[in-house]
Amino acid sequence: MRISPARRAAIERMSLTLLVVISAVMIIVGKADQVAFQSLRNSLMDAAAPALDMLSRPAAALDAAAGRVRGFITVYRDNLRLAEENERLLGWQQVAMRLAAENAELRDLSKLVSELAISFVTARVIADSGGAYARSVMVNAGRDNGVARGQAAMTGEGLVGRVSEVGSRAARILLITDLNSRVPVVVDGTRQRAILAGDNSARPSLRYVDAGGTIRIGDRIVTSGQGGVFPPGLPVGIVASVDTEGARVEPYATLSRVDYLRLVDYGLAEALPNPLSVAARGGKRAESGVGGPPTLRR
Amino acid sequence: MINVLPIATTMLAALLSIEPLHLDGYAALTPAFTLMATYHWTIYRPNLLPAPWLFLIGTIQDLLSGGLPGETAVTLLLARAILLPQRHYFVDRRFPFIWAGFTLLTGGAVLFSWALHSLLAAELLDLRGPVLRAVLTISAFPIASFLLGRSQRALIGAD
Repeated sequence: MRISPARRAAIERMSLTLLVVISAVMIIVGKADQVAFQSLRNSLMDAAAPALDMLSRPAAALDAAAGRVRGFITVYRDNLRLAEENERLLGWQQVAMRLAAENAELRDLSKLVSELAISFVTARVIADSGGAYARSVMVNAGRDNGVARGQAAMTGEGLVGRVSEVGSRAARILLITDLNSRVPVVVDGTRQRAILAGDNSARPSLRYVDAGGTIRIGDRIVTSGQGGVFPPGLPVGIVASVDTEGARVEPYATLSRVDYLRLVDYGLAEALPNPLSVAARGGKRAESGVGGPPTLRR
Repeated sequence: MINVLPIATTMLAALLSIEPLHLDGYAALTPAFTLMATYHWTIYRPNLLPAPWLFLIGTIQDLLSGGLPGETAVTLLLARAILLPQRHYFVDRRFPFIWAGFTLLTGGAVLFSWALHSLLAAELLDLRGPVLRAVLTISAFPIASFLLGRSQRALIGAD
């Protein structure tokens, strides 16, 4: 059956208009209700994870190869630097051991109940947000690997974000630079609390700083543990600028290019099978670990 | 069977836009690959990339990227709505003309997205990132256009 060109154009116009209206409704609903598309997002994330994992491999391999070449070039200089650093760290190790012993003794004296054991899952980034108005990444580990909403995402350097959506084999991490990210923090070594608020720029800002408190450039910012989402004391960043509008924090972790993330489970250790059986899809780096001191008995 | 090429390449473009490239700051500036594919196919083969598919691919991209659901879909659909009546101006034109058309479209799309997000955030958002993203998108278009044109000639045949 042939459709006349005029009829075809009319159908085209109608379907276009209808679809534009549906999209507009989706935008409004998605904005008003953040969880409206949650389950759809999660199942789509699971379905696409293998493809995204595969697609992200060439770029990751290229990056690794480039890293290896750079490594060859700088091996001599790196060796000197590392030998010197090792020397210094051995000194610190002595200090740390002495402090740990002293700390254990003091905890015993004050009958302090120790913090819960921490377990973690290491996962590879397989997709990023690819847009100017959101900061998030997708990783190749999900509920099957022990990932749960609210877990902290870290690199070796510091806090990156938190798990915001979880599928069975993939999860989304909302970065601390995202417009919707709010993290309760404290200036390290003081009681100066604030909220670290993302605004899609590279440096999130400190808001709701305690009245009368002063924040200086170079102050270390760590999580405060308030709100119960993150454990206290996770390194976040360093105050990079202070002006009339407030202070901005340079995150320790390089958020604009993360390859591997460690998803730290805090406080749920009791509820999870122990040790975690983890084999994040195809990721040799996926691992689990259980650490932390055993709970002290009263 | 070959007729799925436009849909397949646009879908691939959607996946490419959320591909982590391990470059500093790339995520925020990723070129709008889906817009390139939509532009190309709407000019040369609009019947092989119908509106419902644009809606579907745009929505998938938004849901996977963690962005605002519906945003990419509405952008691609509007691009089609604007282009379709004008497409006969573009068919059989030399590349600079096609490129100029894409530049206008990208400018419009980036401004639209900026206005939408500013409206939803109830404040004027920084325009520098989006402008840089538009520049990258426009600069990357010749490569995309070449690849899409090649695959089109090889698998579907010229217009």
